[in-house]
Amino acid sequence: MSGPRATPRSSASLAQRAIGDGLVIAVLGGWWLLSQEIPGFLLPDPVEVGKSLVAFFITPSLLADTVTSAARVVAAVVLSVILGGALAILPYRWPVFDAIVHERIKPFLNSFPSTGWAILAMVWFGTSSASVVLVEVMILTPFCLINIAEGLRELDVELVEMGGSFTRSRRRVFFKIIMPLLLPYTVSSVRIAYGVAWKIALVAELFGATSGLGYVMLKAQIVSDATTVLGTCFAIVALFLAGEKLVINPLSRLVAYK
Amino acid sequence: MSNGTAPALAAPKETGSIGRRSRLAAHLFTLGALVLWQLYSMTVEPYVLPGPVPVALRLVDFVTDWSLAKHAFISFAHVFSAIAISFVVGSGLALLAHYVSALRLAIHGRISPFLNSFSGIGWTLLAIVWFGVNDVTVVFAITVVLTPFAIINMREGLETLDWELLEMSASFTRNRWREFVLVVVPSLVPFIFATIRISFGVAWKVALAAELFGGRSGLGYLFNLARQDFDVALILVVIVVIIAFVYSADRLVFAPIQARLGRHHDLGAA
Repeated sequence: MSGPRATPRSSASLAQRAIGDGLVIAVLGGWWLLSQEIPGFLLPDPVEVGKSLVAFFITPSLLADTVTSAARVVAAVVLSVILGGALAILPYRWPVFDAIVHERIKPFLNSFPSTGWAILAMVWFGTSSASVVLVEVMILTPFCLINIAEGLRELDVELVEMGGSFTRSRRRVFFKIIMPLLLPYTVSSVRIAYGVAWKIALVAELFGATSGLGYVMLKAQIVSDATTVLGTCFAIVALFLAGEKLVINPLSRLVAYK
Repeated sequence: MSNGTAPALAAPKETGSIGRRSRLAAHLFTLGALVLWQLYSMTVEPYVLPGPVPVALRLVDFVTDWSLAKHAFISFAHVFSAIAISFVVGSGLALLAHYVSALRLAIHGRISPFLNSFSGIGWTLLAIVWFGVNDVTVVFAITVVLTPFAIINMREGLETLDWELLEMSASFTRNRWREFVLVVVPSLVPFIFATIRISFGVAWKVALAAELFGGRSGLGYLFNLARQDFDVALILVVIVVIIAFVYSADRLVFAPIQARLGRHHDLGAA
C-alpha cells in the first residue's frame, strides 16, 4: 500500500502526544475513580490489577504459567510457519496440488473455529500441552500458508530463471534464490501468527490445559476474581508487545530488502 | 492424462489439463479424507469420533429441527449486529483520526493497538460480570474484537485516497460535506467492503467463544451443551454448519462483489 500520505505515520506532534497520553491517563484515572464506587468483583481497582499483572512475571508459580503459555505460543508459531510454508510450496513445485491446498485445506482450516479445535482436542487428547499446541497450530497454519503463498506468487520470475541458467539443481535454486526471496514473507507470517497465537492461547488453554495463563484465568473466573482476569489480559498484552518489539521488529528489519 | 496427440494445441490444452487435473485431485482428496475418517471412526469408540454417516444424519436433524436450527439464526443475528456496530464505531474513529490530526496518535497509537491486543475471551469474561449471561454480552465481546479491524482497514482506505481527485473536487466545490459524500465515500467503497468481509470471517470465530461462555443461545451455546455431554457428533455438526456458512458466504457473496468492485475501482481483487 504505497501512495501519497498526508503525514508520515511516525512523526507525532506535541498536540497528538498530549492527547494520546492524556487519553491513557484519563482512562486510568476514570477507572480508578469508578472502582472506588462500585464493588471490586464488577470493576477491580487498577492498582490491584497492576499488582496482579506484575505477579505474572515475579511470583514463581505464576511465572511458571506465563513461561508455559509463552513456550506453547513459540512452539505453535514455529510449527505453523513450517507447516504453512510446506503447504504453500507444495503447489508451487507440483501444480497438481493447487486445488487441494487452496480450495480444500486452506478454506477448511480458515473457517474451522478455534473453539471447535479446542473442544475436539480436549476430547481426543485430554488436557495437555500437546492439545494446546495442536489447537494453536491448526488456527495459525492458514495465516502462514496465505502469506507464504503470496510471497511465492510475487517471486521475481526473472531471478529464478537466471538461477535456472546457472544450475540445473532445483535444490540449489530453491535454497539460494527462492528461500531468501521468501524471507520477508516468512517473517511477516511469523508476525501475524504471533499476534493471533496470543489471542487463541487463552481459548486453547481454557479447555485443554491444567497450566498456563488461560487456565489461571479460568480459575479466577470461577471464583469471580475480576482482578486476576484483567491481570491475565494485561499480562498477555504485555507479552505480545514485548515479543513484537524485542524479537519480531528486529527480525523484520534484518530481512527487509530494498 | 496423456495429451501429446495434438501438438498444435499442446500449450492451451496443457494449462487446461493442469487445472482439470488439479481439480480432480482435489475431489479425490476430499473423497480420501472422508474414507479415512470413516475407517478411523470404525476403530475408535463412537463418542471419540463418530463416522461421517452418523454426523450427516445429525446434520439433517439439525437442519430440520427448529429448536436446533434457530441457534444458527441467533448466532447470525449476533454476528450481524456486532459487524454493524463495530463498523460504525471503527470507521467513525478512523475518520476522526483522519480529519482531526491531534487525535491521530490517541486513536491509531493507543485505542487501536490496545483493542487489537486485548483478548476476546477476556472481554467475554468481563462482559459476563458487567452485563450477565445474555445477548448483550455476546454482541459486546464480538464488537470490541472487530472494532480494531475496522479502524485499521478504514485507515488504510483513507490514506490511499487519491489526492489529485480530492484537489479536483475542491476546485469544484468548497462544501466539504459534498466532497466527502461524492468523492471520499465512493473512493472508500472497496475498503468498506473489505472491512465487512474481514469482520465477517473474524466475527464467526469470536461469536462461538463468546456464546460458549456468555450466551444462552447461539451455536456457541450449543457447543457448550455438546461439550458437557461429550456429544462429539453435535460438535462436528456445528463445525460443519459454520464452515459451510462462512465458506459459502465468502465465495458466493463476498468474492463476486469484491471482484466487481476491484474491476470498477481498478484495484486488485485480492
